[in-house]
Amino acid sequence: MLENYLPIVVFIAVGMVIGVAPIVLGKLLGPNKPNTAKLSPYECGFEAFEDARAQFDVRFYLVAILFIIFDLEIAFLFPWAVVFQQLGWPAIFAMGVFLLLLTVGFIYEWKKGALEWE
Amino acid sequence: MDFSLKAMLPEIFLATMTCVILVLDLYLSDRFRRVTYLLSQVTLVFAAVFAIALWDNHFVLMGGHFVSDKLAVVLKTSVFIVGFCIFTYVYDYLRERDIRISEYYILALFSMLGMSILISAGSLLTLYLGLELLSLPLYAMVAMIQRQNTASEAAMKYFVMGALASGMLLFGISLIYGSTGQIHLDALPVAINMAEQPDMLLLLGVVFVVIGIGFKFGAVPFHMWIPDVYQGSLSPIVLFVATAPKIAAFGMLSRFLWDMFGAAPETWQSFILIMAVLSLLLGNIAAIAQTNIKRLLGYSTIGHVGFIFLAIYAGNFAAGAFYVLAYALMTLAAFGILVVLSQRGIEIEDITDLAGLDKQHRWLAVMMLLVIFSLAGVPPSIGFYAKFVVLSALVDAHVAYLAVFGLVMSAIAAFYYLRVVKVMYFDEPTQTREITIPHGTNVLLSINTLATWVLGILPGGLMAICLLLY
Amino acid sequence: MEIDWLKFFFYCYAALALFGATMVIFSRNSVRAVLFLVLTFVASAGLWMLLQAEFLALILILVYVGAVMVLFLFVVMMLNMNLSPLKEGFVRYLPLGILIAATIVAQLVWVYKNTDMAALHLGELAQKPADYSNITELGLALYTDYLYPFEIAGVILLVAIIAAIALTFRGPQNRRSQNIAVQVATRKDDRLRVIKDVGPDSDLKA
Repeated sequence: MLENYLPIVVFIAVGMVIGVAPIVLGKLLGPNKPNTAKLSPYECGFEAFEDARAQFDVRFYLVAILFIIFDLEIAFLFPWAVVFQQLGWPAIFAMGVFLLLLTVGFIYEWKKGALEWE
Repeated sequence: MDFSLKAMLPEIFLATMTCVILVLDLYLSDRFRRVTYLLSQVTLVFAAVFAIALWDNHFVLMGGHFVSDKLAVVLKTSVFIVGFCIFTYVYDYLRERDIRISEYYILALFSMLGMSILISAGSLLTLYLGLELLSLPLYAMVAMIQRQNTASEAAMKYFVMGALASGMLLFGISLIYGSTGQIHLDALPVAINMAEQPDMLLLLGVVFVVIGIGFKFGAVPFHMWIPDVYQGSLSPIVLFVATAPKIAAFGMLSRFLWDMFGAAPETWQSFILIMAVLSLLLGNIAAIAQTNIKRLLGYSTIGHVGFIFLAIYAGNFAAGAFYVLAYALMTLAAFGILVVLSQRGIEIEDITDLAGLDKQHRWLAVMMLLVIFSLAGVPPSIGFYAKFVVLSALVDAHVAYLAVFGLVMSAIAAFYYLRVVKVMYFDEPTQTREITIPHGTNVLLSINTLATWVLGILPGGLMAICLLLY
Repeated sequence: MEIDWLKFFFYCYAALALFGATMVIFSRNSVRAVLFLVLTFVASAGLWMLLQAEFLALILILVYVGAVMVLFLFVVMMLNMNLSPLKEGFVRYLPLGILIAATIVAQLVWVYKNTDMAALHLGELAQKPADYSNITELGLALYTDYLYPFEIAGVILLVAIIAAIALTFRGPQNRRSQNIAVQVATRKDDRLRVIKDVGPDSDLKA
């Protein structure tokens, strides 16, 4: 089974070489003469006013966590989709209950207004 | 797939009703918020009835992942009854402070569903999932209502400690599974006995699982979260965190240690003993220095956990079950009184906030006195009888020196409990205030408090039930 | 020869995972720490793949690398945290941390030395044929024997939704949202008030 993944390993290896090689080559071949002026941060002629990182709204976090939950739900759907014909009604019923639970969660989100943006 | 609606009715009913309440609550206007409360109460009553109905049956269902036996029935029923009392005590507190009532009730119901699943766990997998379902709503409850920075700190500590405990538990479970190839609790003893010599890998797995359980109980040295969570959170949340999960944690402990290693107690006894002794020492001695009543009760919890673990060490699980039920009953009343007292903008935080309670509300002071005496183990209260059962179990197990140690620690405990009584009865009140208790709450709280003494005077019935469990 | 290649890839991925995990702890920049965690997860996915758990390996990448790490990045950015004050306690607690880590490592080594690994139910991992479907096996186990844990997982996900909303969602109180239905349903009387006969003593004439 694992030999099927050989092309992927080759792909990863080639990808890594292509990603890493230019950086290493640049480091090795390029001239490197740093001085204070070159290394100081530059912002239109002024000293940098603030950090590049700005604070996020907490709502992004909420959206991200809700995304993860539904992402996990999909992870459960894959194996189910493969075998439900084999297993018949009990499996369909089981997934029905699972999806119902998450639908309740979805109704909750919707009615609470957690999905609204301004 | 073996499935029986009857056997799983408490869980299925609780899950279904919680979802119904969740959706219904969204469509209720604030004026009808009481409907959420009443429905939650009805749900718990029915769940308890369905649980009791299973008393005479023994089920192993869902491919062995679900077990319903007498232990499950008793612990589940206790959890639901405790939940019912909690919901009654906290209603007015939450409503007065304009706290989101429905979230509290819904998260608590989900947590109780987790407890129920944990108590009925037939495999290590459901044990873990039940524990997660129990803990997740608790983390949210502690963090949800932020009154001050201590609440955030408490929530953070609780969450990080809980996550660490879950990780340890999962690691232990995977070691046990790797060593035996079995995940069902009833198949494990067979697999363990088949090995000719004690398996180190298995032993390491047990160590990690016991650590995970110790975290949930708050036994020393895994107690760090207890004082901060008790002090930092609002009283209604402490009331919930301190009572029902302990019953479920006992269910987990006895499922794991009794079902799996009942035949080989030498694998776990030493860890349990260390945790018991340290908990008794630290819980009772650190409690002396506390000025915050919730923190004091937190340390006293650690001390009580020490007694529960002593009972387990002696191999007397029935005594442990009796102790944990007694503890839940007493803590329920103690924090219940604190919740009821915190009204009209006053939060009961320090012991001095109780000063002169006798002059403000005589009956509440009497109830608090009864509960505190019971916690201290004054005969003939339930606290006394529970300690007595544990100590005599130790004597029967030929470890009388531990019984003496337990006795000394109880004497130390009596000192700091009596300090609270002194403040209540002999100190002058700092402010005059009127305390009003709703009629229903008063009746239930009184029954709760009197039960801590009636069951101490007549412990036979409860003890007989506990003896039937093992 | 086949086994040697397996070992080779195992050590590659294991080394990568260890390197990533170490860098998570030692990175000064928290965003970089998160990215190293991504590396650790990818390397773990490689390890799982070597165990022939292909579906789980891909799900690990999909869920953890794809979703959980995005969440971590959000959290790191949301907190806008400068790590240098946090590192101050680092040196102070370092001896204790090393002690605990050393204890655990010693424990694990001791257990490993004293365990007869051959007697465990591990055995040699059988090489599965090329048409072996990991996902089918998983589905057949999950929706029959492990149905109950699966449904509990569903409840846990539901609680996670509720908890996330209860913790982070503060309601629409400080939003100026547009309600189109209300706008459309507005009638003239709601907006316009005709004031007739303004007398001399009316306060409108001020």
